[in-house]
This record gives sequence, structure tokens and C-alpha cells, in this order.
Amino acid sequence: MSSVESVSKASFNWADLGQAERAALQYSVEQFLYAEAALLDARKYREWLTLVAEDIHYWMPIRRTVTRNDLEFEFTKPGSMAYFDDDHELLEMRVKKLEASSAWSEDPPSRSRHFVSNVRVLGVEGDQITIDVCFHVYRTRLNTDVDSWVGRRTDVLRRSGASFKLLKRHIFLDQTVIASKNMSTIF
Amino acid sequence: MANARNDDTGSWDKAAIGALFDPRTGSLDRRVFCDEALYRLEMERIFARGWNFMCHDSQLPNAGDYLISYIGEDQVIVVRDQTGRVNVLLNTCRHRGNALCRAEQGRAKSFVCSYHGWNYALDGKLIGVPGQKAYYRDDFDRTRLGLVPARVESYLGFHFATMAEDAPPLSEFLGDVGRTGLGMVCAFGDIEVVDGIQKNIVDCNWKIAVDNLFDWYHVMYSHASAGSAGILNLAEILFPNNQLVMLGEYGQAISGPGITKEMQVQIDQMSDEQRIEMSKDVARSGMRIRPRSADALMGPVGVRSMGHPNIFPNLWITLNGMQLCLRLPRGPHKTELWWYTIVPKEAPAKLKQRMLRTAIHLFGPAGLLEQDDGENWSQSTRSSEARSSQTLGHNLKMGIGKDEVITGENGEHYIETCVSEHGQRWFYRGWTEWMAARDWAELRANHSAVPEGIV
Repeated sequence: MSSVESVSKASFNWADLGQAERAALQYSVEQFLYAEAALLDARKYREWLTLVAEDIHYWMPIRRTVTRNDLEFEFTKPGSMAYFDDDHELLEMRVKKLEASSAWSEDPPSRSRHFVSNVRVLGVEGDQITIDVCFHVYRTRLNTDVDSWVGRRTDVLRRSGASFKLLKRHIFLDQTVIASKNMSTIF
Repeated sequence: MANARNDDTGSWDKAAIGALFDPRTGSLDRRVFCDEALYRLEMERIFARGWNFMCHDSQLPNAGDYLISYIGEDQVIVVRDQTGRVNVLLNTCRHRGNALCRAEQGRAKSFVCSYHGWNYALDGKLIGVPGQKAYYRDDFDRTRLGLVPARVESYLGFHFATMAEDAPPLSEFLGDVGRTGLGMVCAFGDIEVVDGIQKNIVDCNWKIAVDNLFDWYHVMYSHASAGSAGILNLAEILFPNNQLVMLGEYGQAISGPGITKEMQVQIDQMSDEQRIEMSKDVARSGMRIRPRSADALMGPVGVRSMGHPNIFPNLWITLNGMQLCLRLPRGPHKTELWWYTIVPKEAPAKLKQRMLRTAIHLFGPAGLLEQDDGENWSQSTRSSEARSSQTLGHNLKMGIGKDEVITGENGEHYIETCVSEHGQRWFYRGWTEWMAARDWAELRANHSAVPEGIV
């Protein structure tokens, strides 16, 4: 198990909660994820941004094909190269770009579908909830382009009123060489 | 060294290849982007023959460190052996051809084939063959069956490899212009490559991607949305419209924004501290003024370039040397892009971090600039395949006959101009010469000297 994968073993007191509380939390977390995915699929990027905390870290490291002996190097570490390493300002720029009339890579716009599954609450600490999910982002472009990105995410959600804000999204893609001309996409 | 050559040119004889590009009109036959026979000839006459970028020395710190790279479509293992030498070995077992390395990087004591267990040392020697006595009954000469090595030579820590026994030394191939380009990468001091090479695949011919690196015409339009999103100030890079083009033998070229002579006279009088101070506001675009030590690496004309070198055929040096992008052909219609990110070893941690994030945010498949390139390239490649569209020339006429090549005091050949297509024309002209020559002797004899006068 690589060191990055082991991030998902965060401490938690999930077991201390009653079953009803656990079910309610699982439900509200899933509903948040589905609503967020629906906004991205509907290209409502500006609205999606309102679900993002000001101090977000949005990160996708580079994955490599390595032997079993070298699994500790499978993902690049924080502070090394990555595909995404964004704060709120950068995500806002991505949204601005998507909204621009000259964002050629998204005009005609892509059609995307964000699937989220295997949602596990890993820990609850104060107002922060660490979750681990599997995702499938499916994108088609023009008439025949198809991209399919599958992987695992560690998200941290921060309670905000009756809902949540996204505080951390660390994206671990299953592809090593990205089989796409670009990732003009929000995961 | 592999000696059998696949030199089947199909219907592409010397005259037919020469007719593919007319430098006087800037018209290029679009079949160069899709023809299968031309593609196979490129593998032989450009990639196997030329010096291909393998890695930077900092990527292999210890004996046994290896990574996979390519010479054309040949996979090679690039590995540091116990003597400290970097070897480049064809990644194919001498028995049944199986790949020795399946990982793209790692640490190895030796390379053992997963098929029958043949074992090769880090220098390629065959050191173990299961059943040599029991099955081969000792009728076996291991010394003749080592992994096939490429020739390896280095400049400023950049390792290059070729399959051609008759290739000239790397430094002759690079020439002043190639060396200036690599010097640009090291202009801020000793460098290291940051861990993590971004890799993605674009459905385009590799030459369209190379063409684009010289293309400062597309920046304002293709990348307008990155500018309006605020990731960088396009005007800061493109205006005033001073462009400097440097041309070298064998297709080497640098093209892009340049510092004027008058401006350089002022910079020459500044201390390194003053230069850093002056560069503070342009950190995001990477257009920092270089320290005095850069003069020796880049020469008096080279230091004025803020443009893009291409080490022929496919190594782009971008963003004032902050990144390298290798364009690896995967058939006529597919190209793998590999992004290497560079930081000066001694730079403060904060500056390194800022450079890293700039690289991530601008380039690579998710970069705000780079996102918009792939589709242009794939659609251009696509139209080169269609019957009628194919017959229209790829248009590279900008600036023909409008500029003059100046010869500098050290023999540099350069053009001071506005945005132009001199770089692309020089690249395609070089390409036809590489493709038409049967071997290095012919290429050396027949390649164009750098032009003088009006171009």
C-alpha cells in the first residue's frame, strides 16, 4: 500500500455514533455529492463554486506504472508535479475560463456525467468529515470523442449550515498515461 | 548496435520527398501528416538516425535507477549502472523479444525477462540463462546476446541517444542553436527535474505539435480564454511585438519573443540582484531576466531570446526553460506528450513551489493554456486524411521575403522580426532533408546551410 493510499485510513469515531446518526450522515453526505455532480453535469460551474470552501485544496497527483517493489513511488507526493494542484483562486479561474466565449476546448461544450459510488465515511473530526469515494467521469465531445476517467477520491467536507462545503478533493486516477487530449473538466 | 535497416521508401523517392515542401511559397503537402509510408520512413531516417532526448541526469541519482523512454517507437531502458554511466538499451529480450521492463520507472539490480528468466546486467550484458547447461548443453555464447545499446552522449546533463553508428557527435548535431536552447534551461543555475512526468495522448501527427511551438500567432486567439481568466497576461508576453528567430543546421531553431538590442544594453549593465528585482512582477509568465552567468551558456544573441527552442525533431523547451515537452510519435495520427518540469537546484523553496504551480496551471492536459491546443491539432490532422482537404497545402507563408538573416559577431544566424513562420518553415525544410538522405554522409553533404540575406 503506497503512502498516499494510506491517507484513507484517517482516524475516526464512526463506530461511536448510533446507527440512526450514521445513516443520517451517510445520507446527507451522499446527497451533497450527487447535487454537486449534477451541477457539474449541467455546466453550472459558477453555482458549483459556491459549494467550494475558500481554503480548498484540489489535487490530482501523477500516477506511474511501477513494480510491486516501487509502489511507494506510484503517486507523486504533494509538492511534486501533479495534474491539478489548485486553490480557490485557481478553481475560480477554471470556471472563468469555462464561461469565456473563447474557451475553444469546451465550445461546442463537452457532455459529461459524474458518477460517484462506494461512498465511505472515514472520519468525523469537529465540523469536518473525511470520505472516500469511487468515481467515474464520462465525457463525450464533438460527435465521436469519448473519454472515461475512473478513480478514487479522498474528499473532506466541512459542515456549513444544513449542508457542506468542499474543503479537500484529492483525486487518484487509475490511468497512468492520460488517454485524452486534455482534461478541461472538473472532477 | 542494430544494423539492419528498414529503408523501404515505398513510392517516396528523393524528388517526391523534396516536393512535399516548398520553402519559397511556404506550402506543405498535407500527406506528411497521415501517410503510413512516410511515417515508417520517419522512424528510420529521423528517429533512429537522430539524437533523441532520453532524460536529465538528475532523474537517475543512483546506480540501478531506470526509466523507460523512446527512440521513435522503440522502447528503451535508460539506466545508471554501478560505474555511474547512463546506458540506453533496447527494451527487448534477445530470446523472444519480450519487454524486460514493464514499469515506466524504478530501481533494479538487473533486468530479468518474465518469459524464460534471461537475466541482464545494468550495462546490458547477459549474465544468466536458465538451463544453459541442462537444456542448451553449454552450446551458447552469452557475450553475443546482450541487450542492444544505443549510443549515448550528453550536454549540460541532458542525455541523448541514437541508433545510428554514423551519427556525428551530439554537439555537432545540436550546433550553436541547439546548445543555446539547452543552455536556456540551465540559465538560472544547476537544475533538477521535479518528480513526476505528465503524460497524455493527443490524436494528432507529432509534427503538428512541433509546428505549434514556433507558432506565436495562435497564442492570442487559441489561448484567449486563459488570458481572460487571468492566469497570465498575454500582452506581457506578446507586446511589444519583438520576435527573435535563430536558425541552426539540421532543423534546429528557436523562435519567439526577444529582448531588443537596446534593452539588452541596459540589462548588461545590471547586477544579478537588479535583474531579480526587475523580474518580480512577471513570475507567472516565467519571463524572468537571466543572470549574467547565462551569457556563457546562450551567447550574446541567445540571451535575448524569450522564445521556444526545439531540439530537432521533437523536444520543445518552453516557458523560458522551465519545462521540456517531448512529442513522441505513436503512429501518424497519435502523439504522446511528456512534460518535464525544471527547477534551479539552489532556488529558494518558495520560488520552486511557485514555478511548479505555474507549470501545472499552464501546461499539461489540465493546464489552462494547453487545454485548448489538442483539439486544433487533432482536427488539423484529421483533415489531412480526407480526399479533397488533403490536396490543399498546409499554409506557412507568413513573413516570406520580408526579413533578413543577420550574422552575429560569433557567427550566429538570427532574424529580428514580428510574429512570423520562419521557425516552422525551417523545421519542415530540415524534415525533408532528413527524409531524403539515405544516411548521415548524405545528410551532412546535402543539408541546407543556414540561410543568409533575405528570407
